[in-house]
Amino acid sequence: MTSRRQTSNKMRPFVSGFLATTGLFVSLALSVTVLTPTVRAQDRLSSPVYQYRGHEMSTGYYEHWETRPGPGVPLAGGPIFQAGPTLYTTGDWLDRRTYMADSHEQLRFYQRIKCIKCHPQQTRGLHIARMGITCRQCHGPDPIAGINHYYSPMNPLRRHSHVCSKCHEGANASYATFVVHEPNPTLADTWKTFPMLFVAFWMMMALAAGTFLVFIPHAAIWGIREFIAKKRGHQTDGHKDKH
Amino acid sequence: MGTKTNIRIRRFSLIQRLFHVLLIISFMTQGCTGVARMYIGSPWGKWLASVFGGYANATQIHKYMGLFMICLFLAHILYLCFKIDWRNFPRCLFSPDSLVPQPQDIFESTHHVFWFFGLIKAPRFDRWTYWEKFDYWGVFWGIIVLGLTGLMLTFPLLVTRILPGWTLNVALWVHRIEAILAMGHVFVIHFFVGHLRSHNFPMDRTMFEGSADLDATIHEKPFWIARMAHEGKLESLLVPQASLLKRTVFYVFGYSAIAVGLFLLVGGIINSPSITW
Repeated sequence: MTSRRQTSNKMRPFVSGFLATTGLFVSLALSVTVLTPTVRAQDRLSSPVYQYRGHEMSTGYYEHWETRPGPGVPLAGGPIFQAGPTLYTTGDWLDRRTYMADSHEQLRFYQRIKCIKCHPQQTRGLHIARMGITCRQCHGPDPIAGINHYYSPMNPLRRHSHVCSKCHEGANASYATFVVHEPNPTLADTWKTFPMLFVAFWMMMALAAGTFLVFIPHAAIWGIREFIAKKRGHQTDGHKDKH
Repeated sequence: MGTKTNIRIRRFSLIQRLFHVLLIISFMTQGCTGVARMYIGSPWGKWLASVFGGYANATQIHKYMGLFMICLFLAHILYLCFKIDWRNFPRCLFSPDSLVPQPQDIFESTHHVFWFFGLIKAPRFDRWTYWEKFDYWGVFWGIIVLGLTGLMLTFPLLVTRILPGWTLNVALWVHRIEAILAMGHVFVIHFFVGHLRSHNFPMDRTMFEGSADLDATIHEKPFWIARMAHEGKLESLLVPQASLLKRTVFYVFGYSAIAVGLFLLVGGIINSPSITW
C-alpha cells in the first residue's frame, strides 16, 4: 500500500503538468478561433482614423483587412491569384484580369498599342465624347489595376472617392454606379448588360414613334382635305373653309 | 365693333395667354440650348451654343430655364385649383367647358378622320376639340417626364443619395427622347394644325389675342356658339379685333417662334449624324 501511494505521489506532478499543458493549448486554440474576430474588431475600433462604416464608405479608405484577403483564405486562391506567363486576352481571362494588380501583365506589345484597340466599347460615353476625358485621367498610369482588384481606385469600394470625386465633388458610392461607358441602348445585347436602359429606351421610342406615326399622317391628310375644300371654294359638308 | 369679319369671340383670359407666352419662351429656350448641347459635336451645334455663350453657359441656361418651367407648371396647377368649380366637383370635369378627355372625344376624332376621306359631314365641335385637349395634356405629360428627369440630371449628387447612379443613365435617355418627341410634335404637328392649315393660315392668333375669329369659330365649333347663345352669354363674349400694332406684334412673335422651331427641326435632321450620344 505504501509503495502504491509513493508511486501515485510520484505521478501526480506529471499528470498535473499534462493537464495544465493540455489546458493551455486548448485555451490558446480557443483564443485563436473565438477571440480573433473580437481582437480584430477592437483593432478596428481603436483605429484613430477609420472608426465608422459611413466614414469608410464616404472616403473610400478602408482598413487593409477589410478589402484584402488574408494569405490563408482558401476561397481567395486559385488561378486568379496565380497569374502565370501564359495569360491570354480572351475567354475567362478577361474577367480574371479585372482582379489583377496589373491587369495588362505580360500582354504582348502592350506598350505599343492604344487602349481603344482592345477596348473599343469603352470609347462610348459623354465623358469621352463631350468632355474629352482620356483613359488615363480615370484609370491612372501603369500598372493599371483591374477594376475588381482590392487596391484599385476603380474598385466600387472607392471609385467614388478616388475617381469620380476628382470632378464631381461629394460623389458617393451610389453615384459611382453611373455607367460611364454605357452600352448602346439600341442593341439587343444591352438587354443582358443594362436591361433597365434597354426597356426605358424602347418604351420611349415606341411612344415617340407611335405619336408621330399617328399624328403626322393625321395632320397631313387633314391639311390636304382642307386645302382641297378651300380650292373648291364652297361650303364643304357643312364646314365652310374660311379662316 | 367693326365689320362682321372683324368680330371675334373671347376664348382665353389674360392669365391663360400669359401662361402660353411664357411656355413658348421657355420651351424655345430649352429647345435651343438642349439641341446645342446634343449637337455640340457638329459646327452647327457649336454655333448654336455660341449664341448662348458656349457649351457651359448653354447648359446653365438649360438648367435654370428648366427650373423656371417647373415653377410655371406648378403655378398653372395652382391656377387650376382656383379655376375648378369645387361646388360641382367632380361633375364639372365632364362638362363641355372642361379640358378633361371624354368619350365624346373618341367619337369626334373618329368622325373627323372619316371627314378627311369625304365619307361623312364635318364634325361639329364644342368649346374644346380633341386635338386641343391632346396638346394641353401633352404639355402636362412632357413637363412631368422632362421635369423629373431634368431634376435628376441637374442634382445628381442629391438624387443618388436615394437612387442608384445608373438611374441617371436611364434618366438621360428618357429626357432626350421625350425632348425630341416634344419638339417634333410642337414644330411639326402643333405648328401645322395651329397656324399653317388652310383654316388658320397665315396664323391663328387666338392664343395671343385672346379671341378667335367669330366666323371661323361658328364653322368649326358651332356647338359652342349655339350653347353660348342658348345660355345668353354670346353677346358678352364678342369683342373687336386687336389694333394693327398689336396684331403685328402677334404675327412677329408667332412667326419668330415658328422660324426658330423649323430652324431647329431642319438643322437637327441635317446634322443628326454628328450627334454625340
